[in-house]
Amino acid sequence: MDATQQKIDQLVKGNDVILFMKGTRVFPQCGFSATVVQLLDELLPSYETVNVLADADMRQGIKTYSDWPTIPQLYVKGEFIGGCDIVKQLYATGELQKQLGVTVEEVKAPTIRVSAAAAEVLKQAAAQEGADTLRFEVGPQFQYGLGFGQEQPGDLVVEAAGLRFVFDRGSAKRSDGLSLDYDAAKGGFNIDNPNAPPGVRQISTDELAARLAAGGVHLYDVRTPEERAEGYIPGSKLMTAAVRDEVMALPKDTPLYFSCRSGGRSQQAAEGFIRAGFREVYNVAGGILAWKGEVAR
Amino acid sequence: MSSPFKTVGASVEDAVRDAIVAAIPGASAEVRGSGGHFAIKVVSEAFDGKSLLQKQRLVYRAIAPFMDGPNAPVHAVDTLETLTP
Repeated sequence: MDATQQKIDQLVKGNDVILFMKGTRVFPQCGFSATVVQLLDELLPSYETVNVLADADMRQGIKTYSDWPTIPQLYVKGEFIGGCDIVKQLYATGELQKQLGVTVEEVKAPTIRVSAAAAEVLKQAAAQEGADTLRFEVGPQFQYGLGFGQEQPGDLVVEAAGLRFVFDRGSAKRSDGLSLDYDAAKGGFNIDNPNAPPGVRQISTDELAARLAAGGVHLYDVRTPEERAEGYIPGSKLMTAAVRDEVMALPKDTPLYFSCRSGGRSQQAAEGFIRAGFREVYNVAGGILAWKGEVAR
Repeated sequence: MSSPFKTVGASVEDAVRDAIVAAIPGASAEVRGSGGHFAIKVVSEAFDGKSLLQKQRLVYRAIAPFMDGPNAPVHAVDTLETLTP
């Protein structure tokens, strides 16, 4: 066994629950890793993660160690559980909770409201497909999926507007009180879900300038130090690992503002802090490119 | 190690399907995808009585060469269905 394999073996055997993933628990850098983190976060107060993007040997080594070609990979009590797909299915059936030694929370079938227009569209589609069961998915990040599918073990069944819906456990928990409507003009469904957390809010550079002038704004620049050296919004602070720890220690109702060059990376960062539990998080729309005020250097 | 694609003139989808069918006894497979992301459905009697992990492992072992390295043609398997006939 080479050094990397030995290191992995020690990590796997030395930690009750360890996830090999892309990114970190707070900032997953891949959708599959983010999904597993979200499920584990819901079930466990703490667990170990290894960021394979930070270590090329580890990234290859874990694939060899598990004889499994994809990341993330979850180990519980030294045993390989699987990747994202398997973890999701084990969670849905309650098997994951059992393996983690946490009580399987009882989930009730959600109450949902389906508008007449939505029901009509779905009934037509069902007739065309020859299907009678709709799978309604509400992902951990409140991503929605609606399609035809079979009932799976652990599913909760809901009859609404003459239609039969099935929900996996996680989706069911995130769906109670949800309304589904169809917007004929837009040609798409509208979902109103009272369980969805507040999203990232967009703020214009003009509004940001006014708030900065008023003071007390926590504004973080998530660009690289090299980009920042070329000029930054006065009052912003460069996001570093140390600053990130400071921010995480702030009360969760602290308004946070994020900016970058054009608003893309800062949106990602802002979403990360929403996932970390912050409730008032702003993305500076357009970033420094849209900033009309003075630029500090 | 030779690349699995030099030997086949077919698409990645076909090559992945062939690799699965060759590795799993009696399997039939559907492979759809683009941009490195794939959806795979495999039906085989070999899955009978196996756990989800064991079933997926059979498929992943078959396609591992396509997922190896930074320029691998298969970047991710978005959905993997393993069914018995």
